[in-house]
Parts: sequence; structure tokens; C-alpha cells
Amino acid sequence: MDKISIPIGPQHPLLKEPLSMMVDIAGEKVLGGSLRLGYVHRGIERLAQQRTYVQNVHLIERICGICSHVHTTAYCYAVEALLGIEIPPRAQYIRALMCELERIHSHLLWLGILAKHIGLETIFMHTWHDREMALDIMEEISGGRVSHAANQIGGVRFDLDEEHIDMIRGILKKLHSQVDGLVDIIETEPAAMARTKGVAPISPDMIKAYGVVGPVARASGVDIDLRRDAPLPPYDQLEVKVVTHPGGDAWARTFVRAEETRVSLNLCEKILEDLPEGDVSLRTPRRVPEGEVIIRAEAPRGELFYYLRSDGSDKPARLKVRTPTLATLSLLPVQLAEINVADIPVVLAGVDLCIACADR
Amino acid sequence: MKKFNILDLCIEIETKTSFHCEVYDGIHGDHTILIKPNQLKPVIDVILESFEYCHLSAITVQQRNDQPDEIEVFYNFWSGSGFSLMLKLPVESAKLPSIISTIPGADFYEREAAEMFGIEFTGRNETPPLLLPDDWDQGPPFIAKKEKNG
Repeated sequence: MDKISIPIGPQHPLLKEPLSMMVDIAGEKVLGGSLRLGYVHRGIERLAQQRTYVQNVHLIERICGICSHVHTTAYCYAVEALLGIEIPPRAQYIRALMCELERIHSHLLWLGILAKHIGLETIFMHTWHDREMALDIMEEISGGRVSHAANQIGGVRFDLDEEHIDMIRGILKKLHSQVDGLVDIIETEPAAMARTKGVAPISPDMIKAYGVVGPVARASGVDIDLRRDAPLPPYDQLEVKVVTHPGGDAWARTFVRAEETRVSLNLCEKILEDLPEGDVSLRTPRRVPEGEVIIRAEAPRGELFYYLRSDGSDKPARLKVRTPTLATLSLLPVQLAEINVADIPVVLAGVDLCIACADR
Repeated sequence: MKKFNILDLCIEIETKTSFHCEVYDGIHGDHTILIKPNQLKPVIDVILESFEYCHLSAITVQQRNDQPDEIEVFYNFWSGSGFSLMLKLPVESAKLPSIISTIPGADFYEREAAEMFGIEFTGRNETPPLLLPDDWDQGPPFIAKKEKNG
């Protein structure tokens, strides 16, 4: 059968963000594909060199519209490491609370997108409704649904009072029962299983060769999670249950993310229970001493890598950001090979791409 | 996961390749070994053999203001904890062997390093742009442009 090349994107109903793919097919079989990034490249690493450390917090937050908080968390911990300061424990816990809420809303958003792509509109409606609860909490405590501006160098910008904590606990309880129901559906619903079981499996060797991280790696049985393996504070004080599954297919990736949502809900409750008393920020100097630092944080999609070098001025000399999606994207052409055309949306949705993160 | 030890890795590299390992301790949070470009591929082979699990997190490149004739390249790995390989290249003829035959996930990182810093990666068919437009003609954005005299 003749080979046909089909361009998908950069603007396409299948994609939520701009990405250009050339998919080669023969009949109903996909032979392979190639990718082109850069449609939302903003030159953030270069821009960061022209702005002060304080201004960069706002710039960095705009790398991503889903995991904006973990970006500023990694960045602020990097600057604070060069400053040689440790932020107050209460600020560490509030940072972690926002990270976990972000993971919950990111995973639910992704679950909804996958459900929509495989024709399960009801699950899509439920997950996006439930995701709003996590966004409501973040909006209530920070003022922003997407860009929360929670972090500042030296701590966080807001404190939590008893009223906030009661409100968060109430919403988390509702969210927990909703997510339990969703996990049941994923584990038992025949239509969901038929569209995801055995689709686009990734072996642990492929995960290692392509440096794939996060839930995609864990769904292939690779037991890595930086919250446990290289914890930023306060994860060294918290017990993080790492969810893995040996399946490696689209169903395993669904299962891992759904279970991780439950783990994050439990972590939020634990963070509120253990929330230390005290200040939430420190005053810090504007100039950062000379030095280089690498910080890794577990973003919703996996390992987030920041390299920061200071030359002693009030602006970074170099900021390098490697987002987890970039690693996952490199595997995408391999994943597309040998699948059916009808499974392309499952593969694309299954790896939870964030093109804004990858392009920076 | 077994914790990484820089000394064990240095001994492993020196035993298997007879290269001398120089440790660079400038980076807070990661152990770094300084190597030469021709040592890159053999050292990466040793790293992949030495760890049950190890992935390439990033290729970080930079040009320091106080050393404008040089580019620093870091291959940032993670295996229980982070470690890096550091190489120094002349900015005018920055060349490195491609490692995509052993670590296919390095493809995007090499393409980004090539377009942003002008590094030529040898041993791969082509290095198409990753983030910059196809018709970008203003040179590598991260390389400081030399001031014209007179």
C-alpha cells in the first residue's frame, strides 16, 4: 500500500496547543512521524537574562498555563540556594500545597482531554467540573486560577488563615469522593479500557533511552518520583506514595494519573494537618552572589530541571529550563509507529503534552 | 534507587577508559566531571553501563561574559541524584560528537544547542532547527556578537 504523509497542525482540532506533525500512513496503519516545535517559543531563557531576579518570577510563571506554580517554585528554590537562605517552614508547606493542587488540576484536565478524545464525553464533563474545585481553592487563596503569583524569592506572597484551611478541607473532601468515582470508572468501564488497553505501549528501556519522566515513566514501571527521590522541602518531611504500573500502555498512563490525583489529595490534607506556624517570607537582597545551581522538581508531568548561574549582579547570567514534556515529545514519533490511525488521538492525549512548556 | 557516588563513577571511568577524571565543584546541587570532547562518547558508554537507571535530563550550554571565546556544555544526568559532564569548546569551532545513537532522547537537546549556540554535532545526518523559525538568519541568539572596531 502506498505511503501517504498527513500534516497535523500546527493549528488542528486534535491539538490544544500548536505543534506540527507529519504522520506517515499506509492504509489504516501509521508508519511513523516527525515533529516540529517552536510555534509558541517566547525566548524565555534569553529574556530572563535581561530581567532582574524579582521580575523573573513573573516571567517564569508564564512558561506554562497549567503548571505555572512549579516553575516558580523551582526558580525560587534555585535563587534561594544561591542566596544561601532557607525559607520559613510555613512557606515551604504552602508552596507544596499549591504544587499538589496544581498536580490535581493538571491530572484532571488531562483525564478530561483523554476522555473526550476517546468519546467518553460524560467523564470529560465530570473531570473538568471536578477540576474547577481545585482551581477554586487556588483562586481563593492566591487570587489567580492559572497564574497564582504565590511564590516570591524568600517565601510565598500570602498566608493561610483558619477560614482558608476549613474551606480547603471542605472542598478536598468533596473532590476526594468525586475522584474515587472516576478511578472506579477507569478501572472497570469497558469502553474506556477498550480504547486504551494495549494502545501504544512503551517499554522501560525506551523510557530510559529517551529520558522520559513523570507519570509516563511510572506507567511503564519505572519507579522514579523526585518528591521521594530528591525531595525539595517540605517533601523530605512528607511520605509520598509513588504510583507505578508495569503496563506501559495508554490505560496504565490513565491509571497512574488517576491514582496520583488521589495521592495528591491525601498529601494536601497532610500538609494542612502539619502546617507549621510562623512567617511565610523573608526579606532577601536584590543582588545574588556568584554561583551555579541545579534544581529538580517533580512537576505534574515529571522532572522539571532548572540551571541558574549568577555573576553577582541582580540579573541571572544564565537560566536553563528543561521541561518534562520535551523529553516525552522526543518519544512521540516512535510511539506513533505501528498504531492504527484511529489511535493517534489516544497516543497524543495519553502522554499529556504541554507545548508551551516545551517551547518556552 | 541506589544513591549516586561521584568517586565511584570517577573510578569506573578511569578503569574502563584510562581517562583522568577532573571534578568540577562549581555547581551547587550536582556533581560535575570535567572531560574533553573526544572523551564524551566513551564516558557516556561507561555511565550507561554503570547505572541500572540513568537518564539524560538536559544539555545545558552557556557562554560566560568573562570567557567570551569559550562555550561550556553540561550533559546533565540523573540517577538517584544529579550529576553532570562538563566540556569546554572554542566558540569559533564548537564541535561535539552526537550521542543520539546511544541516547536517542538527546536529539531535541542537541538540536536546541546547535541553533542557540552554533554547536556542530558530528555523526548525525542533520540538525534541523527545534525552536527557531526555518528562515532564522541572525545567528545563534545566545552567542554574544563581536563589536565591530572603527
